[in-house]
Amino acid sequence: MRFDLTILAPHIGFLAEGALLTVQACILSLIGSVILGMLVAIARTSAAGWVRRLAFVYVDLFRNIPFIVQLFFFYYGLPEIGIYIDAFTTGVIALSIAGGAYASDVIRSGILAIDNGILEAAEVSGLSKRKTFTRIVLPIALRTSVRPLGSVLINMILTSSILSTITLNELTGSAKIVASDTFRPFEIYVVLLVVYAALTWLVSLGIGLLHRRLNRDMLEPVG
Amino acid sequence: MRFTDFTSYDLVLLAQGLATTIGLFLATSLIGLAIGALWAVIRFYRVPVLTQLVAFLAEILKNSPVLVQLFLVFFGFPAFFKVNVTPVEAAVITLSANTAAFVYVIGVSAIESIAREQVEAARVFGLTRWQVLRHVIAPQAAAFSVGPLVALLVNQLQVTSLISVIGVVDLTKIGNILNLRTLKPFIVWSVVGLLYYLAAKLVATLGARFEDRLRAHSAFRGL
Amino acid sequence: MLKVENVKKSFGAATVLNGVNLTVRPGEVVSILGSSGSGKSTLIRCINGLEKLDAGLITVDEFDVSKPKELAEARKRSGTVFQLFNLYPHMTALKNITLAPVEVLKRPRDEAEAEGRALLASVGLGDRADAYPAQLSGGQRQRVGICRALAMKPRYLLLDEVTSALDPEMTAEVLTILAKLAAEGTTMVFVTHEVEFARQISNRVVFLEKGTLLVDLPTKDFFDPAGGLAQPRVAQFLSKMRKD
Repeated sequence: MRFDLTILAPHIGFLAEGALLTVQACILSLIGSVILGMLVAIARTSAAGWVRRLAFVYVDLFRNIPFIVQLFFFYYGLPEIGIYIDAFTTGVIALSIAGGAYASDVIRSGILAIDNGILEAAEVSGLSKRKTFTRIVLPIALRTSVRPLGSVLINMILTSSILSTITLNELTGSAKIVASDTFRPFEIYVVLLVVYAALTWLVSLGIGLLHRRLNRDMLEPVG
Repeated sequence: MRFTDFTSYDLVLLAQGLATTIGLFLATSLIGLAIGALWAVIRFYRVPVLTQLVAFLAEILKNSPVLVQLFLVFFGFPAFFKVNVTPVEAAVITLSANTAAFVYVIGVSAIESIAREQVEAARVFGLTRWQVLRHVIAPQAAAFSVGPLVALLVNQLQVTSLISVIGVVDLTKIGNILNLRTLKPFIVWSVVGLLYYLAAKLVATLGARFEDRLRAHSAFRGL
Repeated sequence: MLKVENVKKSFGAATVLNGVNLTVRPGEVVSILGSSGSGKSTLIRCINGLEKLDAGLITVDEFDVSKPKELAEARKRSGTVFQLFNLYPHMTALKNITLAPVEVLKRPRDEAEAEGRALLASVGLGDRADAYPAQLSGGQRQRVGICRALAMKPRYLLLDEVTSALDPEMTAEVLTILAKLAAEGTTMVFVTHEVEFARQISNRVVFLEKGTLLVDLPTKDFFDPAGGLAQPRVAQFLSKMRKD
């Protein structure tokens, strides 16, 4: 059989819609992960022992159980307790919770890396604990976390393909439909591999730029 | 007793699923380790064409979803190459190649981390490139890579769950079957999740123990 | 008045302050000398509440630093300049200075910024208001650190080895500023290794040795052979510092 990409031409619009859904799901899940990650990172640096342990259990569990199992847990489980939400929302929730476990690790190490002297300076100047956290600790931790959070996002893009297993027609889901319509699975999945690789490559480029932009003032001047 | 209730035979099913998961995990890890190490060696020798090919392949495998890779092998290969691919074969091919890509990355960074001077110094003594690789680089690179490799394996164990999507009856697939029959998603997916969690912890613990042993052995070398 | 009364502090088995008494009146410049490990920095950190006292009492204008409710008020009255600057790395020099006035003293932002700029100009950094700490030299960073402390209009300025991390040229930059502040009547507690400088700007010099205040004398008497120098430890310390 000849490797023929032209057969995909009529389906590009449909695939683009799928890609858009992937992007939307990933952006929402990234936001969810970072918010959840921040809360859990705070919990993990909390003074109360049980709060720390609870946060640790969450991170440990969600990092060591396959995402597809987590996804099925929510997708089949939530209706069981009377929560009926669509596949997209379920997917975003599951991705946020799984991503949050990774994001919390990243943000936590960002917080722990902050020079204690800076916190002491804030303390003696009379800044409240809350203000110190929102004005000093978080901004510094988030800036230093840009790169590792970028890795979390890239992972999320790849993981989002699993949402196709709960009937969501994101990029992989719509590719599956095109594959069975055209009977050309080889071409479509080869293209899909390249599209995902290009997508993650673009994201890592963007992350690099963002990192440099956000941290340009933290770098030593050249020369 | 209703048709949908749990039976003691379900435990046997779970055990079978777990055995399939672990069996495929072990097999694909070994194959992946061998291929990935071979790729790293190809790069060390700077074999023309092959080096670039391997780098490109690893880059694509690393930056695309495993699910899509599985679809390509399981649906794409039979359609394009007119070969018969069973779900288990597709799983072995995909997971091995995916593991190999990450092993390759770890191996390359391990080799590069070993100071260039060491290689130069060894070359001055008249050792061939192969002797340098075998006696100077390989032992150090292996010691250097154990930590990242253990982390990789813990991750790859979770990745095996995706083969359920193409019909391999692994632990996740058993979860699907029990979920459909009993309609008790919370129990089913909690049990499946717990089994994966315990398996991940087992791999991590064994890996850590192995790493400690290796450290103790190579301590005199200053590693 | 800043009062330190019979303060004791130990870290584990090591006693760092063993019953220290010190009074600083408004307008005074008090230098604290002593070899490293004598407890100088710990004393400063007890005054600004970064370390809890094991025993004794520290009051800043009658506010007890050991009482959480009074500590906030005590801290408003003292400003600290740190050895390693401890500037906020993600904020410009100006932002470093205005953060606490705006957030803690609730000063209007534009007022605080105008004052911050004036402070920066007074230390010769009028054109660096928008620079980030990483873009400044050590001496410039420490000058920003001084401005940050002064912006809170403290009645007592606590200086913890503020030149120890600087090379001689930068040290001179910073000491010039401190001399100016002293001449303007700023009250200062000055932990330092700069013996000569302490002699020039202080009203009083105290000498800490192994957690106790060995000498507390007006500057003139401290350096007098019949005064502080009569103490063998002080004489030894001074001759060693001069040799270095």
